[in-house]
Amino acid sequence: MSANAMTVEADPILVSVIGNRLDAISKEIGQTMLRTSRSPIFSEARDFVTGIFDHRLRLLAQTAYIPVLMGTLPSALRGIVDEFADDIDEGDVFILNDPYRGNNHPPDITVARPVFQGGQVRFWAVSKGHHADVGGGGVVGYNPAARSVWEECVRIPPAKLLVAGKRNKALWDMILINVRMPWLVEADLECQIGACTVGERSLKALIAKYGLPVLYDAADRILDASDRQMRTVLRRIPNGTYRAERHIDHDGIDKSRMIALRLELTVGDESVHFDWSGSDAQAAGYVNSTLTNTMSAAFQALFMTVCSEVRYNEGALRALSVHAPAGSIVNAREPAPVTTCTVVAAEAIVEATWLALAQAIPERVYAGWGRWLAPSTMGFNPATKRPFGDIHFMAKSGGGAARGYDGWDHMGTVITAGGLRAPDPELHELVNPYRVLQYEFWPDSAGAGQWRGGMGTIHSFRVEADGIAAVNFGGGVNEATRPYGLEGGLSAPRSRVVVRRGGTEQLIDTETFFYLECGDEIEIHETGGGGYGDPRERDRSRVDADVADGLVSPEQAREVYGLSQAGRAGGR
Amino acid sequence: MGIRVGVDVGGTFTDFLIKDSEGDARIYKTSTTPEDPTIGFFNGLGKAAADAGQSLQQWLGQVETIVHGTTITTNAVLTGEGAKTGFVTTAGFRDILNMRRGLKERQFDIYAPPPPLVPRRDIAVVAERITSSGDVATPLDEQDVLRAAARFREDGVEAVAVSYLWSFRNDRHERRTREILERELPGVYVSVSTEILPQIRAYERHSTTALNAYVGPVLNRYLSKLRHRLEELGFGGTLLIMQSNGGVMSPDVAQRFASNTLLSGPAGAPQAGIHYGELHRFRNLITVDMGGTSFDVALVRSGAPSMTTEATIAGHRIASPSLDIHTVGSGGGSIAWIDAGGLLHVGPKSAGALPGPACYGRGGALPTVTDANYVLGYLDFAGGELKLDGDAARKAVERHVATPLGIGVVDAAYGIYQVVNADMAAAISVVSVQRGYDPREFVLVVAGGAGPLHAGPIARDLEIPLIQIPRESSVFCAAGMLISDLKHDYVHTYAREFDEVDLGAVAAIYRDIVAKAMQTLEAEHVPGHQAVVDYSADLRYVGQFNEVEVPAFRSGEFSRDALQALAAEFHRRHDELYGYSTPASPLEMINLRVSVRGITDKPVVETHAPHGRDPSGAKTGSRMAWLDGAWVDTPVYDGLGLFNGNVVPGPAIVVQPTTTILVPSDFDLACDAGNNYLMYRKGADVGELIRSLNGEVNL
Repeated sequence: MSANAMTVEADPILVSVIGNRLDAISKEIGQTMLRTSRSPIFSEARDFVTGIFDHRLRLLAQTAYIPVLMGTLPSALRGIVDEFADDIDEGDVFILNDPYRGNNHPPDITVARPVFQGGQVRFWAVSKGHHADVGGGGVVGYNPAARSVWEECVRIPPAKLLVAGKRNKALWDMILINVRMPWLVEADLECQIGACTVGERSLKALIAKYGLPVLYDAADRILDASDRQMRTVLRRIPNGTYRAERHIDHDGIDKSRMIALRLELTVGDESVHFDWSGSDAQAAGYVNSTLTNTMSAAFQALFMTVCSEVRYNEGALRALSVHAPAGSIVNAREPAPVTTCTVVAAEAIVEATWLALAQAIPERVYAGWGRWLAPSTMGFNPATKRPFGDIHFMAKSGGGAARGYDGWDHMGTVITAGGLRAPDPELHELVNPYRVLQYEFWPDSAGAGQWRGGMGTIHSFRVEADGIAAVNFGGGVNEATRPYGLEGGLSAPRSRVVVRRGGTEQLIDTETFFYLECGDEIEIHETGGGGYGDPRERDRSRVDADVADGLVSPEQAREVYGLSQAGRAGGR
Repeated sequence: MGIRVGVDVGGTFTDFLIKDSEGDARIYKTSTTPEDPTIGFFNGLGKAAADAGQSLQQWLGQVETIVHGTTITTNAVLTGEGAKTGFVTTAGFRDILNMRRGLKERQFDIYAPPPPLVPRRDIAVVAERITSSGDVATPLDEQDVLRAAARFREDGVEAVAVSYLWSFRNDRHERRTREILERELPGVYVSVSTEILPQIRAYERHSTTALNAYVGPVLNRYLSKLRHRLEELGFGGTLLIMQSNGGVMSPDVAQRFASNTLLSGPAGAPQAGIHYGELHRFRNLITVDMGGTSFDVALVRSGAPSMTTEATIAGHRIASPSLDIHTVGSGGGSIAWIDAGGLLHVGPKSAGALPGPACYGRGGALPTVTDANYVLGYLDFAGGELKLDGDAARKAVERHVATPLGIGVVDAAYGIYQVVNADMAAAISVVSVQRGYDPREFVLVVAGGAGPLHAGPIARDLEIPLIQIPRESSVFCAAGMLISDLKHDYVHTYAREFDEVDLGAVAAIYRDIVAKAMQTLEAEHVPGHQAVVDYSADLRYVGQFNEVEVPAFRSGEFSRDALQALAAEFHRRHDELYGYSTPASPLEMINLRVSVRGITDKPVVETHAPHGRDPSGAKTGSRMAWLDGAWVDTPVYDGLGLFNGNVVPGPAIVVQPTTTILVPSDFDLACDAGNNYLMYRKGADVGELIRSLNGEVNL
């Protein structure tokens, strides 16, 4: 193919072909992350995102298992390039985790590799994932006592991880001495670099094949096409201004006060504007959101309603805008702590967006998904003779119902949209000093409705080591924060975490530090999803089936679903 | 050797490849009879007997082997019509099977999850617990098992799967549960995880065991009927069943390991590729099979097809080893469409057999790949008596692609052709580039009715130097089945860090597995000297959650040196796959694997005398085809008239009764000594090409 920059155009067919290639390369980067990372948060729970950018830092393609990370790559890469503008060389690899330099929150470390050709940066291969530890005073990064970002992590500004292909030893040493599981963090950084290298290899092959002018022209057209597609899709939402409010349970420091997020959503012919002006001021504790996280969560909420088929790239986002006042809970000022924002604030942002959209397109909006509420724990495992750190992902909540569909069971927080893979209990026992006692659906945990929510989970385990540090984080422990029902559907119950020690039982609030000792038992009741539509309208055979399966109790069937005669209960 | 018969029951057609003792091959196709596939099976055999001028009984008397690929279990899962199945698992863990690890595949879409294999009411929990070290923490509560059996009996359950936590560390509870269930539920099909897949990862093990139970009775009924009928007809030879792992097994083994047939549909292809490549001693192949709705790709390296343990069917995981066949929705019937942003896509929606492509004239109005091929002049018939309707094809392409894109109908058709080619090339990248293999070192073996029209551009795109198109390409899988070995895969989780590996224990586990494997082969009448044992192990860096399978202990010696070699091979492979390795990091040995093969006698590869270079004897005329941006008067050849040594210069179209080959203008096509076709870039020396791919020239 000729490569004359003045005249070359990618024909519409080539645009499709190149678009698919870019998607495939982004997946390839993701596969490498998935298969080779060592932190269970990365590889079992798949808490990461990968993307490809062009030289103008436009997001061309990405692969996310956890969608709330999708919108956060552009600002992170921008943060890196702003810092290093004319000091980017072939073989350099960049790192960033600081939430005030474009990153979303500290545990998600961004690694970016420029792809050179002819001495110039042509593309970027980027990966971002949740590390097992980023230092600071928390547990796996979660520190409910933090009053500033310094207590949350070792802050890594935009920096070179590799300089012209060689390790920047001082930086690695500096990072690794500040984390508790340096071998995991080191290996996972290697994994991220490896994944970006796989991306670089494929992008270089793509340049060799089509030539840059064609690729860049195709990129323009792919982004324009996504823009057009997005605008077409947005026409399906009736114009208007829609308002909604959701709450964060509390900030971990003042546990008596809920924090409000208020949204005014304005839908135009081909645009959507999110205005969060009415939201509460930023909090003292780590539930604050960064702007990039706020944008990402809001966009995800929209994508899960009407735009599921639109490619999530720079073009697709042109029709969307966000206003989040600096100093508010949705755009905190440095140095406020922010670590839980990808979960706690993001859930409230998604829910508020959906409740606003439900006034316009109720047929495309989910009832509430169960919010995350579970501990992260960290300590030393005498069986493996190694420190360990994990987030208890087995406690997965149910998905919200939608018109015509029951919610999906065992989904986990909405910000994962079903991409969070539950850990294997056997592998879990192999690495952690825990004996799993129970891991199954929580009966009656789903919000009732004509379409009921997905099932939540009961997860309990016994501790087999001493001196384990734990932080319970998340939400959904208040009336106002449990999964909402829609169109007459009911809410799901509140989640709860309990610790049993020597015959006593203690309820653990969210955003709380605690310690675990050998013999303790933790029991997590993770709620299901909210229901959609009047439960009395539910197909009777479905109610019967739920009772037979032991998912709905005969009492709930009678009292909530109005079933005259409950069938055989699904006992053991 | 007597007559050998390969029977491949597909969705639409049942394919037969029949080889007599001289190696002469005959092809038959009958309509598949879904309500009772044995009807189509015997229809085909009847035809073959009739052509031989014999009664079915007489003819079957000379048949030595029938190798049978069935999709009866696959269909049972896809349609949700498997056996009514009960599932027994550890108390406190009732829902691991139905949680499916809590994944939703299309995250942004609103849709329903796949229905469970076993509804929760049929999942019984039993108080028992084995720990990660294999100790009994809670003894088996036999009363719970009895209660479960009573409930299953009452509910008319036909099959029961049993899978407890950590059972592979200590199978005592599963063995006892099986005894009780078999005693209490006579005639019920029972599968236990320690027999089906004694491997770490609860969901994957549960799901594989449950699938086995779910399809066990279905396969049993089918095979009983088939064997009974074959016996009635006096068949005294060997019946073998195709497996998802690319090997075959006896019906007795199949009845116990029914789930091993679930992905056997396309499993004959890699073996067929190996067979057709044999003539030139090709060891590195990529086989592709383009049908009406899908495109299946598999990779063969050093004569061994790539395997995976990550397959799924209808949203359920099968973790036993199966061929790593990557399938995408690009077939002749795939529909071309324009998205809201104005970009062209092809598939995965397909027009199927009904209504089919617009040009079939059966009411299809949407443009398909076949329609595009017709508009471009590549295709003028679709096999059989079907008359193609060119106006319908052009109209469909015009309305749904050309007009929305603002381009001409021919450009639009060529766009469809290019997009589907690129999608297929990308699918090939998945099994090659993404697995760390360079496609330029492989021969592309092309099968399926539609494949040979697209092979040239795909090979060009990936810089694959040589394409092989078997003459029997339309019954490719049946051909592969015919020459497949008996093959049984075993796994046992070991799960220890490398410096804690007890070589004595490892050797003992391998020995036990091999003894079991040899018993199975013996029951299948494989003499010891025809058994081949391959050891491998799944390794990972400590902390990783995915393993890489590495061949192990090739010498059969379980020494420290062999262990070190294993580690070195792991680092190398990790680097190849993922772009890096960290040799200083500690390793873990997770699974021990054994694959045994009973080598079957292979039919002779028929070779033909050279016929000279000139192909003109086969030339039947010419037609206009859209090539390189212009209409070109393109010579047409009758494939059946091409013989060893003939070279057809591109551009050309080679037509066979069930396949059409497009030779692009920058390619040539040669007929080899097996009367198969080789296609390569014009000007290349085909002999040199073959040698560069480590083959032997046999033209």
